[in-house]
Amino acid sequence: MKQKKVWIVPCSGIGKTYGSVARESAFIVTEDLRPATAQIMPLALLVPEDSEARQAIRESDSITIDGCKLACAAKVVAETGGTVAHALQVLGVYREHRDLKPAGIAELNEGGKKLAAVLAAKVSVLVDEIGKERQDA
Amino acid sequence: MPELPRKKVGLVSCSGEELAEGTVTRLATLRVLESTRPGETVTICLPLFLAGGEGDRAFARFHPTIAIDGCEKRCAAKGTERYSAKPAASIVASEISPSPPNGFGTARQLNEAGLQAVTTVAEAITKQVDRLLGGPEDKRQSKAAGSSSEHPQVPATAACSCGSGIPVMVLDIAGRRVEALALPLIFDMFRQSGKAPCPETTVELMETVRLYNSIPDDEQALWTEAIELGYAAYIAREAH
Repeated sequence: MKQKKVWIVPCSGIGKTYGSVARESAFIVTEDLRPATAQIMPLALLVPEDSEARQAIRESDSITIDGCKLACAAKVVAETGGTVAHALQVLGVYREHRDLKPAGIAELNEGGKKLAAVLAAKVSVLVDEIGKERQDA
Repeated sequence: MPELPRKKVGLVSCSGEELAEGTVTRLATLRVLESTRPGETVTICLPLFLAGGEGDRAFARFHPTIAIDGCEKRCAAKGTERYSAKPAASIVASEISPSPPNGFGTARQLNEAGLQAVTTVAEAITKQVDRLLGGPEDKRQSKAAGSSSEHPQVPATAACSCGSGIPVMVLDIAGRRVEALALPLIFDMFRQSGKAPCPETTVELMETVRLYNSIPDDEQALWTEAIELGYAAYIAREAH
């Protein structure tokens, strides 16, 4: 049976660099690395109460990627009834890769793009793990 | 001395990652924040209305807000109205800049048409900002003083309000819980100015409170009473 894709939910960070890294990493996962098994869920779609997306988010696991400690993505997915299988923070990954200092919001610098790639690789492994757990179950 | 927050125009964009139009709203909003009206605009992430605290949810009650949506679902406008307050203006990118046959590119990478749409939407936002800040007369005065529509003298950084919140204090007005915006800061400012609770101070307090709160005519007396009592209690607490 075909498995439902894992939701990748980046924060909507608009005023901070880390938000842009979260967004870019979600695109890398869902368009380049795991298009067959992962799908992006815009956080904005979950905000209106009558949103169809609120039903959809409950039907598969989510990996949230937050740009700041306010953790909007993880909180909103949980608040709307979704399952947060993994909650990642850009800052956490940056601490492991301090040579990749992100800058820029509308346009990320090289460090930001590389950090997004590292984060995306990490998310892809988690997507695979979720897929394997489902097969084993 | 505490600094009272300055009212600006709040921009709430959907930033939807599903459609190119979402990216158009995000980049257009950033352009206004950083280039066309920096210092006069502020933003907050839409999901923070759901994930944040009461200070974050006070955002659109404090700042007149423009919701900028990518599509007719109007997530930003609906979410802002549901969790904060009705936006003062609403812009939908797909309506003011319809997608050409080849589209705007992708949410990840806009094409030329998408970048043109960013300009169109940014101009529409800027126009609404000017309207909310007092109309074209102010802008004519600015131009007469020698400034252009761009404001290069202001540092080009997006003013993000996420997590900073508007301080609020809950008052009991005729048995209802009413949030008074900026009241904690106002009380603190008056206390540090050495103003003791008295009828004259209450008059001054109300003048300041009215700058940040819309008080219905038939509730003026109730607010005055609540503010008077609240300030006396606040001074008593601070004295201990």
